[in-house]
Amino acid sequence: MIDGTMKSMSASVRLSVVAVALSGAMVGGCASGDTGAAEVWDPLETPNRFIFSINRAVDIVAVRPIAVMYREWVPDRAQTSVRNLLDNLGEPVTAINEVFQGDPNRAATTMARFFVNSTLGVAGLFDVASSFGLERTKEDAGKTIGMYAGVEPENGGFYLMLPAAGPSNARDATGMMMDYLVDPFRILTFALNIDWFVYSGPRYGANLIDYRSRTIFALDDLEKNSVDYYAALRSAYTQNRADLIRQKREKTNTRAELERRDNLALVR
Amino acid sequence: MPLVAYRRVALRLAVAAAVSVAPVLGPAMAASPGQFVEGVAKEVIAIIKTKTGADRQAAILQVLQTSFDLPYMGRSALGTYWNQASEEQRARFLKAVATAEARAYSERFGQYGGQTLVLGKITPRANGLSIVESRLNQTSGQPIKLEWEVRDTDQGQRIVDVKVEGVSMVMTRRSDFNSYIKNNGGTVDPLIKELESRAVAR
Repeated sequence: MIDGTMKSMSASVRLSVVAVALSGAMVGGCASGDTGAAEVWDPLETPNRFIFSINRAVDIVAVRPIAVMYREWVPDRAQTSVRNLLDNLGEPVTAINEVFQGDPNRAATTMARFFVNSTLGVAGLFDVASSFGLERTKEDAGKTIGMYAGVEPENGGFYLMLPAAGPSNARDATGMMMDYLVDPFRILTFALNIDWFVYSGPRYGANLIDYRSRTIFALDDLEKNSVDYYAALRSAYTQNRADLIRQKREKTNTRAELERRDNLALVR
Repeated sequence: MPLVAYRRVALRLAVAAAVSVAPVLGPAMAASPGQFVEGVAKEVIAIIKTKTGADRQAAILQVLQTSFDLPYMGRSALGTYWNQASEEQRARFLKAVATAEARAYSERFGQYGGQTLVLGKITPRANGLSIVESRLNQTSGQPIKLEWEVRDTDQGQRIVDVKVEGVSMVMTRRSDFNSYIKNNGGTVDPLIKELESRAVAR
């Protein structure tokens, strides 16, 4: 069994190296002194809009109503516990990314959180670590790639509308795939032959409903106040991700951001 | 006792002086961009607590017109299409956008439930622009990151953009409008008609 794990892990590592190389080529390929004021690069707009319309239909009839019921009817404490549980399952991936982001201290804190919450916090249901002063961070490989990509973080390669998962781009979709491959819990389910319906399915489902329940207000607002919801969401997603990546870079480079803002003012 | 009474009189005098002097000095002393944003936030909270429905929307529109640079925001949102629009189109567009924004903001603020705005760093930039960072602390859940872009104009300080978690309202509008124009014949007219019909519809 250990051998199996090792094999699948080395396969994962090899795959992720390929993915990094690929995404680097994709992201780097479209670098051209943009100021962030340019429109999002969306060569696949027609298929993207098609997938978006399907996503929206599913959202209207199923995901949003469930998310609303979840938000309204499930006690707040239970919602917090679900959130904590899902966050705890995500900690190892965050820690791995923090190592690759060159911040091993932060990775150690994240792992400390993981061990404290998995034990004292009853399998992650309670966020005991935060009360110990171990604060939560959330990292993903999209941010890690963005940190090193050397282009404006608004430039994440071509825009991509993923079925179910929603807005993404070349950078973040690659990151998502990498996170999936290195996720120790995912590897464990494969190694132990745990049925999809027992662990992975419920986990992704719970993540979706939890995430949707926290974005009801923002997305309703965006939809109501836009004349082209697809374009508004594309812009909002790109800006939000860019902001997260910029926060990571800002530790080393504040000047770049300020210069970008001056450029933006000039473009206007 | 006399001392206390004297103090009370002095205090009253001081308060009276402050109240009567403040409106006179107010516009003359240029408040910092941070104080300006804080003032606008207080004004909005006061409106939300006392007014509802159409009254609220009218009051919010009032605040938008006096504290936000709506023409500038509208022009930015229209991007390159601004140049090819006629004077009449521009006027209609700005009016429709102001109404739409007033409705959007009054709905957004309608969700107010005791959040507090904590101001952070203020960064002055070129072109009389300042960026005011702030955090909206919620009663439950993570605080929301808000950034205000404040510009010095002829009429005083005006807010020209609000960024929520890094998402600029103006930039999002710009993408939204540009895409709509591109998909509707490449002219501004359909967009203006759409915005105007929405203003009437709801």
